[in-house]
Amino acid sequence: MGKYILKRLVQIVITLFIFQTLLFVILTAMPGDVTNRMFGNPDIPPEAIENAKERLGLNDPVLVQYARWWRNFITGDLGVSFSEYPTPVINIIQERVPRTLTLFLTATLIQFVVGFTSGRILAWQRGGLVEYGSTLIGVLLFTVFTPWFGLMMIFIFGARLRWLPLGKFLEPRLWSSAVIPGLTNSASKGNFVFNRMLLTASIILVFWLVMLFLTRKLNSFQRRRILVGGTVGLIAVAAAVWAASGIGYLAWDIIKHMILPVATVTMVGYGGTMLLTRQTMLDTLREDYIQTARAKGVPETMVRNKHAARNALLPVLTGLIIGLPFTLSGGIITETVFSWPGMGRTLLNATGAEDVPLIMGVFSFIGILALVAHLVADLTYALLDPRIRYA
Amino acid sequence: MLLHKRYFVLAAVLVVFGVLIAACTTPTPVEIVKTVVVTEEVMVEGKPVVKEVVVTATPAPVEPTPDPNAPKEAGKGDIFRAAILEDMTTMNFWSSYGPINSSMWNYVVGTTYHPAAYGIGYHRWDYAPAIADGLPTDLVQEGDFWVSTVKIRKDVKWSDGAAVTAHDWAWTADVALKLALQGNWSGYDPNYLDHIEAVDDYTAKLYYHTKPGLAIHQYGVLLKPWMSKAFWAPMVDPLVERMVKESEGMDKESDAYATLLTEISQQLETLDATGEPSAGAWVFGQWEAGAYVENVRNETYFDYMRKVTEYANGGFKQVSGAQEFTSGDTSQVELEYTEGPWFDKTIFSIYSSDAAVLALDAGEVDFVITPNGLSKGQVAQLGPNPNVSIAINVANGFRYLSFNFNRPALAERTLRQAIACVIDKPFLTQNVLQGAAIPVNTIVPESNAYWYNPNVPLFCEGMNTQQRMEESVRMLKEAGYTWDTEPAWNPARGGSVDYGVGLKGPDGQYIPEFTLLAPTAGYDPLRATTGVYLEQWMQQLGMPVKAQLVNFNRILELRASGNWDMYILGWGLGPEPSYACDFLQRDSGWNFGAYNSEEFETLCNAYKAETDRDKAREIAMQFQEVLATDLPYLYLFTTPLYDAWDNTRVMFPFTEVADGIGGGAYGLQEYVLSIQ
Repeated sequence: MGKYILKRLVQIVITLFIFQTLLFVILTAMPGDVTNRMFGNPDIPPEAIENAKERLGLNDPVLVQYARWWRNFITGDLGVSFSEYPTPVINIIQERVPRTLTLFLTATLIQFVVGFTSGRILAWQRGGLVEYGSTLIGVLLFTVFTPWFGLMMIFIFGARLRWLPLGKFLEPRLWSSAVIPGLTNSASKGNFVFNRMLLTASIILVFWLVMLFLTRKLNSFQRRRILVGGTVGLIAVAAAVWAASGIGYLAWDIIKHMILPVATVTMVGYGGTMLLTRQTMLDTLREDYIQTARAKGVPETMVRNKHAARNALLPVLTGLIIGLPFTLSGGIITETVFSWPGMGRTLLNATGAEDVPLIMGVFSFIGILALVAHLVADLTYALLDPRIRYA
Repeated sequence: MLLHKRYFVLAAVLVVFGVLIAACTTPTPVEIVKTVVVTEEVMVEGKPVVKEVVVTATPAPVEPTPDPNAPKEAGKGDIFRAAILEDMTTMNFWSSYGPINSSMWNYVVGTTYHPAAYGIGYHRWDYAPAIADGLPTDLVQEGDFWVSTVKIRKDVKWSDGAAVTAHDWAWTADVALKLALQGNWSGYDPNYLDHIEAVDDYTAKLYYHTKPGLAIHQYGVLLKPWMSKAFWAPMVDPLVERMVKESEGMDKESDAYATLLTEISQQLETLDATGEPSAGAWVFGQWEAGAYVENVRNETYFDYMRKVTEYANGGFKQVSGAQEFTSGDTSQVELEYTEGPWFDKTIFSIYSSDAAVLALDAGEVDFVITPNGLSKGQVAQLGPNPNVSIAINVANGFRYLSFNFNRPALAERTLRQAIACVIDKPFLTQNVLQGAAIPVNTIVPESNAYWYNPNVPLFCEGMNTQQRMEESVRMLKEAGYTWDTEPAWNPARGGSVDYGVGLKGPDGQYIPEFTLLAPTAGYDPLRATTGVYLEQWMQQLGMPVKAQLVNFNRILELRASGNWDMYILGWGLGPEPSYACDFLQRDSGWNFGAYNSEEFETLCNAYKAETDRDKAREIAMQFQEVLATDLPYLYLFTTPLYDAWDNTRVMFPFTEVADGIGGGAYGLQEYVLSIQ
């Protein structure tokens, strides 16, 4: 196993090198550069544009720019953004990652849980109206044009019914008068709250995993009661702590703003997970060992949940693990439609402005995490399916 | 169980249906006012007296229901809620006024923070004193310098309470000159300006080593922003000193000088601007990156309650505090308005374009600030909402066809004139582009009324397709052009042109194949469509022209390389037409087409040296005629700009603004009134 991991790490380094190089070549091959946006302003004479190019190092030979990028990358300095000059790329990423993570991690996990659970049940109860309806809805959501769907969600629930906010991640009038003790005037209140929300979610997750581990020997009824009760308890405690913190209303404001984008991402992604789970379950249910379990008189729920679903989980979980790093890139469409200032919008704006250091910085981040996620997915395979061995 | 599931599905379908029905209902109209009464404190016989002034504004359809709980005076409100489409990138004005960070969104928020000696009104571009006390003295020669003196108002304060003085101006100019600041800072033009001297706190003397004209003096240095010396000097002076010391004896063209300048500029642009005072209508409040920016009303704003009167014949009057300024014929009042700010705060919330329109439709924001106005689709979406008003303005810019004079065939004026003749701009803008464009005939758009020449020569104006084709052919024939097959009008099938083949120049040589570059439809559908039509019109004349729709950046690259024949691009313009010389003078860096006209050079040089506005106007009229005859640019069209606002919450004292209320006046934040 150790040898396998080492081999994969070497592969990751090589892949990362190729990935970065290709990315750099593609970006520098694009016509024009970030100074093009100055061309429409006659107050900026051509000499000033030349000067700006010089300052940004755009007049250097491509190989020099490439070497500079690697030097920066290896030393942990991703350079300075051109479009948000002279803010360091790393600061921009640090500022936007929490917002994207909060939104897309929530959406991805909800989509996984809902998609997997419903796919599992639908495969089990084949032929009913619910199955046909759910499959049809799943296919519709899976194939819907996301920008249109997002705008429709805003139009219906935000603009017309006015149940939910119309985008953004907070209500400016509420936040502009909010005072957070100990926070300087120039610091981001949004990130302050976002980071604490992420911390809270992480603590809940750790406790939940501990509960899961401690209850593994109990029968399913007892286990379910403890898990559900414990989860509700954890959430109640977290809510109480937030309420007592004096900034709970700000967290609630963010949650309200998250509902529409999370619902949209969940619905769009749900169809894929549900259909994949359903199909895998159907394949699994045809296996001999399922027949054997039934013949042995094993209860139906246990056959479904332990024998069939656990095997069907494999490809779905792999998809989830590999997909998790890409939550970092956010959804360019979702973030744009919902005016969510995360990594997706940053990437879109940076690409529009030909801000090479920022694009490279964001993709490097995602690339490294994606490669690590592939490794984790491979290792998880072995963990979930004892038949798999790595040489 | 199955029955329950069916009920459940039925109920779910009904709920979804109900939600959709509820969502599609029309919003209830809210009533609005037509005028606003503003209380104003005036001095009568040395005593302050409060009187009421009626401020006229865009008529609104319905009278309002007064809110009995309204705590504010009429016209004043708590928060002006503006939607912006992108975030600011910096608070540091040294950076945002420079070339690299000159994003519109930085200006939107900070446009009023930094004072200038003079200003240009948003409505008619009237030139008037801002913190200057009256107009500058005429330029006179003192030794080696051309000198002008500007008196400064004594009642202008920064928001931290310190007086705005001539020292702030002199210091700002000194920094700009010594650090060779670029971009918009280059208005402190080292090619003309030597230095600014603060004679005393309220008198500044401008020293030019070369005699400046209107564009450099009145529309240049006198309009440039001032920075607070007290706030910035402790941070900036060490950089300036280092620059001066280390660059001593350096060749300004050397790499070492460029490296030093880059390093110092970068340090200047990363200085922390937190707590910087403002002298404008607004003071920075807070910035939540990615979400919103807040400006707070400046309680010490010197122009608060400035009363502006515009007269029918171009006259102008403003009364601000004890200052009064009048120009032109003041016999017939056309418009009166009073400057605010009328809101306690402005909150700029960041939305995507479509979400911003939905937010306006739902009453969540008062105004959407966009650089290029709302799209026609968005206007159609907002149209049925009685609570939203829409204003149409015209962009102060133009899209044009440029010719490369390095191609001998295209350097022939007659050929360009024949092309101008065959291009049917009214047909193009109305029929092809469906009213999404407005024809432009000279380098100064019609919206810039003072400088616009309505009498420039037009080719084939008012002719139909047949007449245009025949007239173009006549012009070419007269100049000695010939064809293998001459273009002809074919009356069959309702009439069409039989394309000419093998056009030969007066020298008997075939006109070579040319490429017409235009941006792709994804970037600009108007220019892409126009490119295709222009190709056909030129082909009618027998010119072998191929339109190529390419990436916008690629056109810029090709243009810079000189490897092009014709392209369609556009320009955004300033308030006075010296840009014409910047674009087309022989040695200008923008004259990519190598246009070369002695007459134009002479006029431009005269314009640049002229300091009298009316005389400069005469010259501008002449060079517009030259350009409309020579056609180095074939002006095509400009675009209408749509702005929309919530007429139940805000109103504007005027809505006619070149480049639009959002794009040209950043939402008229100092003037917008509350009608709550």
